[in-house]
Amino acid sequence: MIKAKQYTCIGCPIGCPLQLQHEGKDITEISGYECDRGAKYAKQEFTDPRRDMSTTVEIIGARWKRLPVKVTGPVEKDRVMEAARKIHELRVRAPVKLGQILIEDFLDQKAIHVVSCRTMERID
Amino acid sequence: MLDRMEGKYDVVVVGGGPAGMGAALGARDSGAERVLILDREPEAGGILWQCIHSGFGLHYFREELTGPEYAERFFEKVIDYEVDLVTNSYVSGISVDSDGTKSVRVMNEEHGMDTVNTKSVVLSMGCRERTRGSIRIPGTRPSGVLPAGLAQKIVNLKGYLPGKRIAILGSGDIGLIMARRLTLEGCKVAGVFEIMPYSNGLTRNVVQCLEDFGIPLHLSTTVAYIHGLDRVEKITVAPVSKDLKPDMSRAWDVKCDTLLLSIGLIPENELSLSLGIQMDVVTGGPRVSSTLETSMPGVFASGNVLHVHDLVDFVTRESLLAGQFAGEWAQGVRRPADNIRLVPGDNVRYCVPHSLSPEREHTIYMRCKEAMMPCRIRVGNLMERKLRFVVPAEMIIFKIKPDLLDKFHGDTLRIDILPAEKGKRHD
Ligand SMILES: Cc1cc2nc3c(=O)[nH]c(=O)nc-3n(C[C@H](O)[C@H](O)[C@H](O)COP(=O)(O)OP(=O)(O)OC[C@H]3O[C@@H](n4cnc5c(N)ncnc54)[C@H](O)[C@@H]3O)c2cc1C
Ligand code: SF4
Repeated sequence: MIKAKQYTCIGCPIGCPLQLQHEGKDITEISGYECDRGAKYAKQEFTDPRRDMSTTVEIIGARWKRLPVKVTGPVEKDRVMEAARKIHELRVRAPVKLGQILIEDFLDQKAIHVVSCRTMERID
Repeated sequence: MLDRMEGKYDVVVVGGGPAGMGAALGARDSGAERVLILDREPEAGGILWQCIHSGFGLHYFREELTGPEYAERFFEKVIDYEVDLVTNSYVSGISVDSDGTKSVRVMNEEHGMDTVNTKSVVLSMGCRERTRGSIRIPGTRPSGVLPAGLAQKIVNLKGYLPGKRIAILGSGDIGLIMARRLTLEGCKVAGVFEIMPYSNGLTRNVVQCLEDFGIPLHLSTTVAYIHGLDRVEKITVAPVSKDLKPDMSRAWDVKCDTLLLSIGLIPENELSLSLGIQMDVVTGGPRVSSTLETSMPGVFASGNVLHVHDLVDFVTRESLLAGQFAGEWAQGVRRPADNIRLVPGDNVRYCVPHSLSPEREHTIYMRCKEAMMPCRIRVGNLMERKLRFVVPAEMIIFKIKPDLLDKFHGDTLRIDILPAEKGKRHD
């Protein structure tokens, strides 16, 4: 049976409303896009939607109470909340350097890490 | 007296956000020797430290960075360039002597009041958020009503949450980003309410910050009343009619303990006003010439204090230029005054700078009043450019070459955004 999914393209401010028809896992038709980016986006959203992720973690002994961190590769959309909970368990001690790896191979993905987005000196 | 601030500076930059850092680099590049940045915060970087999401630097660093990463990378350049930086220092006034020397009054946390002398000044104080007072929401005055950017600072730097159950008025990017941020931190976001029939934020943020988390976006809806004595208990929201008045017959209540306001930014211009600088009532920032000089000779402006930018990369680009001209000024360069006024025409809300000179190439920053698609930009009778679309939330940027202006003999150049001509397809 053919089913339809709707997406809004995020490629540019036009925000084309996209329609994707599929039978199970097979895409049968994509429509509604004004340029190729829209079609590509709908396909990606249907097959493997992912999101950039950044948040903050607790830091001790620094000027601020929170340290901004990010995941170095996009996280599966359905695991974003789980990822946030995992990252929030972290508790970091100053000093920390920009780009320092805080969790290696995050969510069992090879070479995808949680890293610090800034340097924070130790302040006593 | 802070020993670092002794003697006379070439350029003093007020505010150490991306605009101030860019201006300082530009000034050093122009050959100015002594450049000082003053910022009231404990570190330079401005609002970037709290913008922990990615989306910065695609143009300038050719890489998508988070705000803090952009700030730190840029800050390292400032150190390399031997710029003096004094933080925890609030600039409370600027005055100009008869010989053109500027005295900048500084209040420092440890050292008290002080004055720094300089040949030129760059204003880069950024902007601040509109508050409840600026839109006069009826109701009680409980705690728990705060601007979304302030909430961002509280959450991302200070490490506590503004509340548990959040409603957001206004769908600008700051509001959308905070909806996701607070959800990730375990708060419940009850909804985003937008008075206009469209969102003011990027589609990417509507999709990834609201739809992904099932947060409802109510368009053409506003907050009509705030309830609660000590703390917000609930808000009444109502759909609005065409004239943007709430229709109370269709109103409903939303339970929440916090209301975030994402209702716009205003350039922070108390200093500019106290200097008697001419302002643009539309941008809320100073009027500037093509060298980004204000109506006060030797005082320049760039970044959000001049007009609210959506991308930090453009703040940087504009500020490098402002710093360069400020540095030149300090070294005695006096360029001929601009002889062409640039004025907004059809569907143009504003354009910056306010005047041009045929001497150089210019970058024009402007915004439209209403979305139009497809359309064309017409600059007097000099040039016409086709665009696929314009929307108020996205700044329009283009260049005007000097040879074009050489051919222009009038004194006023008008910019219009017009519908695309029929029959001609846009590319
Ligand atoms: C929520 C949010 C999301 C954003 N998202 C993006 C994005 O995804 N991508 C992007 O490119 N851009 C984004 N931006 C925009 C970008 O961050 C800003 O355009 C940029 O930071 C503006 O730089 P600025 O230096 O003009 O102002 P600011 O960064 O505000 O810096 C001004 C500085 O001046 C100081 N100051 C002010 N008055 C005084 C005084 N009297 N004395 C001393 N110091 C003073 C302040 O302390 C501050 O440090 C976002 C902005 C916000 C708020
Ligand atoms: S499909 Fe193309 S034109 Fe439409 S929103 Fe996406 S990028 Fe923009």
